[in-house]
Amino acid sequence: MTSTSTFAPSGGSRLLRSGFIMPAILVAIVAVLVVAPLVRILLSTLTPSGVEAWQAVLVSPLSFNLWWRPLFNTMVLGFGVASGCLILGGFLAWLVVLTDVPGRRLLGLMATLPYMIPSFAAALAWGTLFRNSRLGGSAGFFETNGLIIPDWLAWGLAPTAVVLIAHYYSLAYTIIAAALSSVGADLVEAGQMAGARRPRIFFGIILPVVTPALIAAASLTFAGAVANFAAPALLGLPVRMQTLSTRLFGMIETGQNERGFVLALLLIAVSALFLWMSDRIVSGRKAFITVTGKGGRTKRFPLGVWRWPLFAIAVAIGLLTTVTPVLVLAASSLAPQSGALFSNWTLHFWIGEGGGEIAQGQAGIFRNPVLLDAIWNTIRLGLVVALTTMLLGLALAYTIVQRRGSLVATILSQLAFIPLLVPSIAFAAAYIALFGAPIGPLPSLYGTFALLVIAASAHNLPFAVQSGRSVLGQISADIEESARLTGAGLLRRLFAIIFPLAIRGLFAGAILVFVKMVRDLSLIVLLFTATSPVLSMVAYRYAAEGFMQFANAITLVILTVCLAASFLAHGLQNRVQKWKES
Amino acid sequence: MNAPATGAADAIEIRNLVKRFGAFTAVKDVNISVPAGSFLVLVGPSGCGKSTLLRMLAGLEGPSEGEIAFVGQTVSSGAGGVIADAGRRNAGLVFQSYALWPHMTVAGNIAWPLKVARWPRERRDRRVKEVLALLGIGALAERYPAEISGGQQQRVAIARTIAPEPSILLFDEPLSNLDAKLRIEMRSELMRIHRATGATSVYVTHDQVEAMTMATHVAVLNNGRVEQFGKPIDLLRNPATTFVATFLGTPPANLLPTHRVADMFVFNDTPLVKGEIAPGHAEVQLLYRAEDVCVGAVPGKPSVIARFAEAAPIAGRTMVTAMLGDLRVTGMAEGYFSAMPGDAVTLSFIRTPDAVFAVSGERINQ
Repeated sequence: MTSTSTFAPSGGSRLLRSGFIMPAILVAIVAVLVVAPLVRILLSTLTPSGVEAWQAVLVSPLSFNLWWRPLFNTMVLGFGVASGCLILGGFLAWLVVLTDVPGRRLLGLMATLPYMIPSFAAALAWGTLFRNSRLGGSAGFFETNGLIIPDWLAWGLAPTAVVLIAHYYSLAYTIIAAALSSVGADLVEAGQMAGARRPRIFFGIILPVVTPALIAAASLTFAGAVANFAAPALLGLPVRMQTLSTRLFGMIETGQNERGFVLALLLIAVSALFLWMSDRIVSGRKAFITVTGKGGRTKRFPLGVWRWPLFAIAVAIGLLTTVTPVLVLAASSLAPQSGALFSNWTLHFWIGEGGGEIAQGQAGIFRNPVLLDAIWNTIRLGLVVALTTMLLGLALAYTIVQRRGSLVATILSQLAFIPLLVPSIAFAAAYIALFGAPIGPLPSLYGTFALLVIAASAHNLPFAVQSGRSVLGQISADIEESARLTGAGLLRRLFAIIFPLAIRGLFAGAILVFVKMVRDLSLIVLLFTATSPVLSMVAYRYAAEGFMQFANAITLVILTVCLAASFLAHGLQNRVQKWKES
Repeated sequence: MNAPATGAADAIEIRNLVKRFGAFTAVKDVNISVPAGSFLVLVGPSGCGKSTLLRMLAGLEGPSEGEIAFVGQTVSSGAGGVIADAGRRNAGLVFQSYALWPHMTVAGNIAWPLKVARWPRERRDRRVKEVLALLGIGALAERYPAEISGGQQQRVAIARTIAPEPSILLFDEPLSNLDAKLRIEMRSELMRIHRATGATSVYVTHDQVEAMTMATHVAVLNNGRVEQFGKPIDLLRNPATTFVATFLGTPPANLLPTHRVADMFVFNDTPLVKGEIAPGHAEVQLLYRAEDVCVGAVPGKPSVIARFAEAAPIAGRTMVTAMLGDLRVTGMAEGYFSAMPGDAVTLSFIRTPDAVFAVSGERINQ
């Protein structure tokens, strides 16, 4: 025993507690990352030339083409995709969670996969199959084989909507399935005890209870469709179908920055308005707070003779939206004539030397130095952004939780939430507005890898804070305090208690960010330059120039990276936390 | 279908009921019947099959074998499964989780089963008001479940269940989520409602105090089997097995393992009773109630020295628990008593054992 009798707080915790330094730094970071670009883009449309841009977009002979027509298309896409996703995702969620359909695990897995595949993969696959010869160039698989493909099926709104539904329905599925599994069997059985029949229980109890999830799923898929760039660009632009995001891209690409900024602000307004409205509907009603009971147990209804037919439909949906696009892309990347998917297969597009007859003498993608550069850049971008996002998210979540109720916590959580309302392409436009020109002594960041990282980290902030909070939520104060009572110092607690408990959540979050970055196009498309190429951008360029095989091959590379990361995460998680194996 | 209903038929009759989940048998050959208006309590440790039994009564599960009849009508059988649907057997179930529908107000929750049963609006409204008043929650009618306390949710759940005037009320551990004070309050509330409705009730609990205070009939379940069925006081007085003897009663009764030495049954070298109480047995377990075990030496009575463990004052006396090796023995001391844990205490057995059990746990008739 030592003779000291004073209980001095250990240095580590004093540093964390007393300091206003960390919160101040965080507020500053979030302000620069989120607030500054948005304020800057707004301000730059308030200059004389900015006001002109507003007029040109909203009230001029041009405004029909600049604003109203794209707005109409965007709305049609948004509502169409949201309804389609609710129907497909809702159907699958109902089937997997509430019925005794065979192979429920398999169906559940298949329903979550499309979200791991970039939306331009499906768009490219669609083009490979349905492209018609209206625009010249080679026709798609169906037309080459004698089927007449009408324009509406080859280009424009309908295929764009289908492709986006095929991508976003898995998001709706995830949300609705989670809500359905929280409807306890007791709620349903209480209805049975009252004598209600199955339709009555479904419409009277289950549906109202999951309404918030349906609204959330609808608004998120709506926002996703509205913000998507790749699908309308690949399937719509060739026939001059413009959405707000493609218009905004076109404006900035042709140097009409102010008009682009105006469109970006309008796109933000449209997307935020719908997200905000859905949030109002849900949060305004106390009726939607679920009272959870024993939990875990859900009631499964027998399907009877419909078991196998419904299973077949679900499998068909899964195959059409995951396996088929991948197979089409793979076949296309091997077929010299894009219409004849299954003849004369060659590895030219992958490893062929340049100078031959095929592909106007271009070499295969693995001989193309730009591509190797792009692979490295993409993985680097994914890793760096995953790291920065999770670190920032953890720091923000820790501060918000520790200072719950304080002004700092409120400011941080509100600010970090903002990017959720901003479509990524508009967010990128805001970054151009802020960093496009030198700021004081700092050089312009436009076109640098650093800008990509900063913008991506900022746009991932809402997700980062949310996953940081859920990670910290797994470590109850009791656990940390009981370790503190043993006399373990901050560092010791960090490495022996907090880190092992948090690693799994951090890892899962980081992998998701990584995958998001690798398959992202709409954020990158504006910020990318030739000096820092990434895979999705290279694929988009190839596709825009008509080299479909190259585009498809690169998309396959992206897909492989995404899926490998997902499986790696899956495998590692069980190794990292053995007590959670099951 | 069974014989038509007669006035003599029991309200609930369970015959040879078996429920299997795969290889696991949850309920084994249960036979219970109670007359109309009874309050049957199914009591036992968790996993004993009591909730499964209740769910079969509700019609939410079908039995694997055997039959359930309500007032002479077979509602479930091993051969026919669930013959009368859950909603068609005039029974109501109060769930442990309350299972209130979160998107309906309190009044909405109570009215919905009546709507399903196509009660006319006027009668429905009147009934909702009536049960709200009966449970004393009239002021909460327009609130949502998430806005009221656990105890209030419990009352709403009961109101919802009794609103359609079922002739059978089923309760699945309804008080287990309440705090101790509220639990005692709701216990008498439930008995009041039972009297007011006259519905035959089946009540599942793992709390033997609830069983002893509320039941007209008790079935003690263990490992899916009914250990003993009867009136609560009979089970307490004449337990059929050691399980029943130690599960029921406060404080728990003492069970001492003894073996025959010459003409005496001996516990730890202390002769306790004459061998004639269990002829032909070499080893028996003796049941001594706490009130038959006295703290301190009593002349002429057998006694043992134990290590003091804890003391709890009860109604002017003190319940003293001491350890004999691994065995807990509880006796009573007059007035207040205290000692340090580990102190030696003398425990005297002042009366003959209340019951004698074979090593297997079966009661040996005296």
